Amino acid sequence: MSLRTAVGARRRMVGVAAAAGLVMAVVSACGSGQSSASGGNDVVAAGAPVPLVVYSAQGYDQAMVTAFQKATGIPTKLVDDSTGPLLARVQAERANPQWGVLWVDGDEAFAALDQANMLVKGFQPDAQLNAAGQAVVPKDHSYVPTGLTVTAALVYDSAKTPNPPTSWQDLLAPAWKGAIGMNDPAVSGPTYPFVAGMFDQLGGDSQGQAFYSSLKSNGLHVFQTNGDTLHALQTGQIKVALIQSSAGIAAGIKDKAIKTAYLPKVTSLPSVIGIDAKASAQERAEAEKFATFVLSAQGQKVMLTGDRNGDSLYWPIVQGVSPDPELPALDSVPTQAIDPYVWGPKEGTVNTWFTNTIVH
Amino acid sequence: MTDTTLTPGPVATARPDRGSPPGGLARVGRAVRPQAVATLRLLPWGLFAAVLLLPVAGFLLVAVSPRLFAQGDAWFTLAPFQQVLSGWTAHALLDSLAVGAGAALLATAVAVALAWLTERTTLAGRGLWRLLLWALLLAPSYLESLGWTWLVEPQGVLDRLLGQDPVWLRSAVFGPAGVIWVLASRGVPFAYLAVTALLRGLGREFEDAARTHGGGRLATARVLLPMLAPALWAAFAIVFAESVSDYGVAATLASQGDFPLLTGAMEQSIATFPADFPLASAMGWLLLALVGLALLAQRRSLRGRSYQVLSGRTRPARRTRLGALRQTAALAGVGTFFVLAAGVPAFGAAAASLLPSGGRVSAASLGLANFRHVLRSGEMTSALGYSARLAAITACAAVVLGAVAGRALARQGGGRAGRLLDLLLLAAIALPSVLLASGYIFTYNLPFASSLGIDLYGTTALLVLGYLAGALPSAARLLSGPLGQVSDSLLWAARIHGRRPVAAWAGAVLPLVAGSLVWAWLIAFCGTLLELPVSQLLAPPGQEPLSVAVTRQLQGYDLGAGAAMTVLVVAGALVLIGLVLGALRLFLPAARSLEALT
Repeated sequence: MSLRTAVGARRRMVGVAAAAGLVMAVVSACGSGQSSASGGNDVVAAGAPVPLVVYSAQGYDQAMVTAFQKATGIPTKLVDDSTGPLLARVQAERANPQWGVLWVDGDEAFAALDQANMLVKGFQPDAQLNAAGQAVVPKDHSYVPTGLTVTAALVYDSAKTPNPPTSWQDLLAPAWKGAIGMNDPAVSGPTYPFVAGMFDQLGGDSQGQAFYSSLKSNGLHVFQTNGDTLHALQTGQIKVALIQSSAGIAAGIKDKAIKTAYLPKVTSLPSVIGIDAKASAQERAEAEKFATFVLSAQGQKVMLTGDRNGDSLYWPIVQGVSPDPELPALDSVPTQAIDPYVWGPKEGTVNTWFTNTIVH
Repeated sequence: MTDTTLTPGPVATARPDRGSPPGGLARVGRAVRPQAVATLRLLPWGLFAAVLLLPVAGFLLVAVSPRLFAQGDAWFTLAPFQQVLSGWTAHALLDSLAVGAGAALLATAVAVALAWLTERTTLAGRGLWRLLLWALLLAPSYLESLGWTWLVEPQGVLDRLLGQDPVWLRSAVFGPAGVIWVLASRGVPFAYLAVTALLRGLGREFEDAARTHGGGRLATARVLLPMLAPALWAAFAIVFAESVSDYGVAATLASQGDFPLLTGAMEQSIATFPADFPLASAMGWLLLALVGLALLAQRRSLRGRSYQVLSGRTRPARRTRLGALRQTAALAGVGTFFVLAAGVPAFGAAAASLLPSGGRVSAASLGLANFRHVLRSGEMTSALGYSARLAAITACAAVVLGAVAGRALARQGGGRAGRLLDLLLLAAIALPSVLLASGYIFTYNLPFASSLGIDLYGTTALLVLGYLAGALPSAARLLSGPLGQVSDSLLWAARIHGRRPVAAWAGAVLPLVAGSLVWAWLIAFCGTLLELPVSQLLAPPGQEPLSVAVTRQLQGYDLGAGAAMTVLVVAGALVLIGLVLGALRLFLPAARSLEALT
């Protein structure tokens, strides 16, 4: 390389660096301009509201955020998506979290987040919980349950299948060969608690693995999500779908022949709010207000009416609040709660086992 | 090679050395101006670094140094690679390789035949076929997969129509054959664009020369095909990269057929809890290695040759007249392709959007209820407005940057910068967008950047950059063909006749490539409008992109409303395309005769 080209090359490099810097500066100016426009108040005075960022997978979240903002005046921004992408986002952001409130189904993930010190501990909202609610509150109060569904409910078409199975062991009988479908726990958020719940009630990992291996031998179909499994039920590929209760009840509202039954025992699946441990004091205070609002009478009304075709079909855990009339009394459902601090940390290994052994 | 004013090249950097006249203020002004101009010219390269280099590097670093991004304990490890290369993921890697190569070969072959028929023969309905290619380009791959699924599943459409379960067809569709077909048919428009652009510039003279010297049809094809080599290789490379990185098909046909693909495995390692980013990153390295192999093959076969065929002496090609028999055979072939490629997904989307969202299916239950619901609820309009705005911004940026990148790619011996850019663009295609999006989070959400006051993550600006990373590679590839084809002589002629650089480029080069620029804009716009993975991970709080809204409907047990939204958006995009193409015909009729557009 001659001196002249070397100098030229160097000049170009400096130019590239300068241009890159310029681009970054311009783009970040756009970005910060936008965020300060929306949240400019916090600069004015300490204690003034900052935007509360809510990551939520609940069907009624938009209605809740709107009601909360109206009731408190706290500017609230929602990221509404499925549980999988939201948890991926939370984990990718781990070095520098941007969320204030995370609100998805299943306490196992929250237990794991708590053990990684990613959640605010010790917060108790001002609400009177019923017995089912108290059973799912963690000892260190690192997250707040807001309602209950169960998994896996047994969903079937009563016109085609008048006599559905009545126990988990029934599913292994030749009569149900090739007729059972469930979701892949590695893809569908609410399915891991079902898998873990079976492991737990059957006595441990080896018994649980034996159960699912036998199901596989009996022709188990594994689909991606509730929607896919329900579709397989409606098209007759399977006779029995093992999915989240709210999905089954919602299908039953649209098609009266679709029934939902509960084998002894099904695992309770709470919807849960967690607060970012790295949130500013102001945002943390707002997030706590949000959780309290959700459990208030007003918030429960929003939860029960915000998504009548899905997530609103839950059992309330606040005393004196009744579920949607489509739901049976929770007492009549044989539920069990599993310890999320035991099963949460095992989610990765159990899902990997399931993918490697049952799915592939 | 043309030196357009857009690219930093020898002329651009040499200009400051050409000597500036002495004299006070003017001297200072002239000394500053070249500097400013040089910086301005380097601006696109800075953007390439911001859009592609940093996020890709950020994502790839996670595999070897998870601790850097709070994703593990090790500062340096190779364990994720060992994990990928054992068990079913190793199998998925081989499957992806086979599927990518098969789809790329098939798509290139179909595209050459299609391009020849529409460009060089009097095939009937040429406008319709081109419109259908657009429709293919627009439909998301999962839609095509869903269409096939609904057709062949038990109790599916074929089952009910024929009264017999199409078991054999199902086992073909839910497996390698179905996966390769869907990916290839989605790759055909890209391959077609690459091939057509070159074919249009390739005058009739080469064909005539071969025929004059006694060459038969076969001999003529043997003369012409090597001249198309850059387009064939570009088509192969782009379809290969698009296929190995496609997730829509991996999640539907491949997963139901128990035929694991690497993208499915990658997505799963992120979507599951706890997410295993280092493992996904290691798979990203392997996907890149696959694409690197394709790129290497392309480079070796094209090295040291020139493919400039479009010059001032190029004569427009004459179409071969097809006789009745040939016309019928050609129409049957083209028609079959489009029925299998576009008819099936259209059927799937239409069936899903017309059917009620649940309950028994009967003729009476078909209806427009889903469309009415979607249009009345208004939740779609705000999402559509937001996504359309961002898609328009992204498309404009993609065209400008794509032209710069396309020029750099087409430049013979483009130097290290050109090669690096080439690699980066293919990397951006090869990495599934969900991984690219997590790369954006890792890179632009680093705590030290926040402490410097640079908070890009969580803003619309970063979402646009993420979209750009998706749109730029195809734009650059599509534009590199037409831009590389324009001979220097045209520009020099304009310069000799006294035009200034910008005016010379606008007068001599722009009319030749305007159609391609419009194509590239439309593709970027439509591709961004329904983009899902980047939207999911990078959407700023409080804003909902269209694809997220649609997916929420599809997954929230409201398949009908989601499908209706998709149908409305695709139809709206087709109307937009029609308007833009109409405007182009009206205002720039010259572009029409040269471009693969009208």
